Amino acid sequence: MTLGGGASTGTAALAAHGLSKRFKKKVALDKVDLEIPVGSVTALVGPNGAGKTTLIRICMAFERPNSGAVEVDGVDPWKHRSEALRRVGYVPQTPAVYRGLSVEDHLSMARSLHSSFDVDYARRRLDQLGIPLDQRADTLSGGQAAQLGLAVALGTRAKVLLLDEPLANLDPLARREFIQVLLDAVKSDGSTALLSSHIVTDVEDACDRLVILGGGKVRLDCPLEEARQAHRLTEADSPPAGATAVGSFLSKGGKDILTLWRLAPGADPSAEPGQQSETASLEDVVLGYLAAGRGVGLQLN
Amino acid sequence: MLDRVRLTYKQQRFETLAVAVVCLGAAALALLASWHLNSVGVPASCLVDGRVPYWNGPMDASWMPAACQLPSQRFTDALTSWDVRIVSSLGDVLPFFVGIAMGTPLVARELEQGTAPLSWALAGARWKWLAGRILAALLLIVPLLLVAGLAADVLRGAQEPGIDPHASFDYFTSRGVFFVLWGVAALMGTVALGTLFGRTMPVVIVALIVCLFARATWERVTDAYVLHGMATLEMPGSSSPGELLVYQSDVLYLDGKLYTGTDCWVSNGVPGCQYAPGDEPGPSSIGPQLAWYVVTGDHYWQVVALESAILLAGSAALGAFALFWVGWRRPY
Repeated sequence: MTLGGGASTGTAALAAHGLSKRFKKKVALDKVDLEIPVGSVTALVGPNGAGKTTLIRICMAFERPNSGAVEVDGVDPWKHRSEALRRVGYVPQTPAVYRGLSVEDHLSMARSLHSSFDVDYARRRLDQLGIPLDQRADTLSGGQAAQLGLAVALGTRAKVLLLDEPLANLDPLARREFIQVLLDAVKSDGSTALLSSHIVTDVEDACDRLVILGGGKVRLDCPLEEARQAHRLTEADSPPAGATAVGSFLSKGGKDILTLWRLAPGADPSAEPGQQSETASLEDVVLGYLAAGRGVGLQLN
Repeated sequence: MLDRVRLTYKQQRFETLAVAVVCLGAAALALLASWHLNSVGVPASCLVDGRVPYWNGPMDASWMPAACQLPSQRFTDALTSWDVRIVSSLGDVLPFFVGIAMGTPLVARELEQGTAPLSWALAGARWKWLAGRILAALLLIVPLLLVAGLAADVLRGAQEPGIDPHASFDYFTSRGVFFVLWGVAALMGTVALGTLFGRTMPVVIVALIVCLFARATWERVTDAYVLHGMATLEMPGSSSPGELLVYQSDVLYLDGKLYTGTDCWVSNGVPGCQYAPGDEPGPSSIGPQLAWYVVTGDHYWQVVALESAILLAGSAALGAFALFWVGWRRPY
C-alpha cells in the first residue's frame, strides 16, 4: 500500500519491481514494488521474518530473486554486480570484523578492495568517536564495532547506504551515536539511506520515510510525517469520519483492543473530532499494518 | 595489492606462521639428515648400483669387502634411524598440510565467521577478491615448498650417494618440484571445497580424504595411462631391470601398449603378447611372465614436466571452479 505523495519520484535511489523471493516453501518477498527517493532516509520496518534482510541482500546481490528485479541507483546488481556495488555502502546485521586485524587494517582492506574508498574520511569519522585506529577489532565494544562497520560503509562514499538492522545489538547510547553519525553523513554527502529495524522507536527520529514490510509484502510506503498525520487510533470500532480501518491490536497493557484508522485522502486531520480518536504514534501505525498483514486481531476491513 | 597480500597473511597469521615454520623446519631437518648420511663417508668403491649396500649384519660379511663393512653398517644405521625415516616421509604429508592449512581460511572461514559480506560488498567482483587471496597464499607457499622440496632432493641424493636424484625416479613425486605442485593442488582443491561447503571442518575432512586418495592413486594412474610413450622394454621374465633407474615394474609391455599381468593372462594369445623364453603357450605352459616396464633416468625432466603439467592443469581447473562458484554462492 502506498500513500500519496511519496512513492514514485522518478529519481529512485533504490527501486524494486515485482520482487519475489522464496526459500523452499516460505515466501520471503511477494511481488514487492518499492521506490526509495534520492536523498531520503528510509526506515524499513517489520517484524522478524518480514523480508527486510532478504530485500537488502538482494540489493547486495547476495540473494538471487525468484522473479522481479531491483535497481540500485539505476543499476541491476544481478546484471552488473561490480557497478552496482560501487554505488552501495553496506552495513551487515551483525558487526562483521576480522578478529586479528586492527581498525586501521580494516580501512586498508577496504581501500584495497574498493577503488574509491576514502580512508581519510573514514579515519576522521572514527577519530571523532574516539575509536583508536590501532586497536584490534575483536576488542572493540559492540557499539564501536558497529561504528567501524558504518565508517567502512561511509568511506566508500556510496550514493546509497543499506543498513541491515545495525542497531539491534547496541545499547541506547550507542544507538543514538550511530544514528547521529549516519544522519550527519547523509546530510553532508547527500546520499540515500535505507535502515532496516524491527524496533520502531530506533528509527522514528532518524528517518523521513517509512516502509512497513510484513509477510513479504509492502504494507505501507510513505513519508514519515504523512504516516503520522494520516492515521488515527481508537479504542472502539467507531471510525473517524471517512476513515477506513487498517488493523486492530492489543494495547500496551493488554486490556484494550485498539484500532488503527487511515483517514481519507485529503481529509483535514484537524477537523476530525478528537474525543473518540487520538493521533497514532509511529509504533501504532506499524502495529496496525502488521496486524492487518497477519490477519490477527480484529479485522475490520 | 601489497596491502591485500599483507592483510591476508595477517588474517591467517597462525596458518602463515605454522606453514613457514613447518616448511623451513622440514627443509632444515632434511639437510641435517643429509649431512648425517654424508658424514659417514662411504667410499665410492663400496657402492653397488650407486647405492650403499644394506648392511644385514654378519651375514653380509661373506661377500662384502672388509673395507666396506663398517661404513655400510654405519650408513645403514643412519639410514634406518628414526629421524631420517621421519624426514624422508615428510614429502608425502607436508605439501598437503600446507595446501589445506592455507586454503581453508581463504573462503570457508570467511563464510563461517560472517566476514564475507563485508568483503564482498566492498569488492564487487568476488572472483577478484578471491584471486587476490589465492595469489597471497601462492606467494607464500610456492617458495617455502620449493625450499623444502629441494632439501628433500638433497636428502634423496644422500640416501643413494651414487645416483643423481634428478635422473632417478625413486620417490620422485615426493620431493623436488612435486612439493610445490602437490601443495598448490591441495590449496586449490581446498579453496574450491571452501566455496562449496562454506564451513571449515567439512572442508578440512573432505580435503584430507581427497588428498589421500589422489596421492595414493597418482602413480598407478600416471604409470598406466600417461607414461606409455616413454616406456622401454626390458626382457620379459627378467628378475630385475638391470638398470638403476627403474620406474615401475609389474606391467606387461605388448606392442608398445601396456597391459597388466592379469590382462595378458586373460588375453592369452593376443597378438603381440610376449612370453618369457620357455613359457610359450603349450601343455605345460605357466603363461606369460611379468616384464619390467622401464623409463630410464634420462627421461627424468620429461616425466617431471608431463606430470607437473597434469597437476598444474588440475590445480588451474579447481581454481577456476572456485573463482566461478564464489560469484554464485551466498556469503553466509
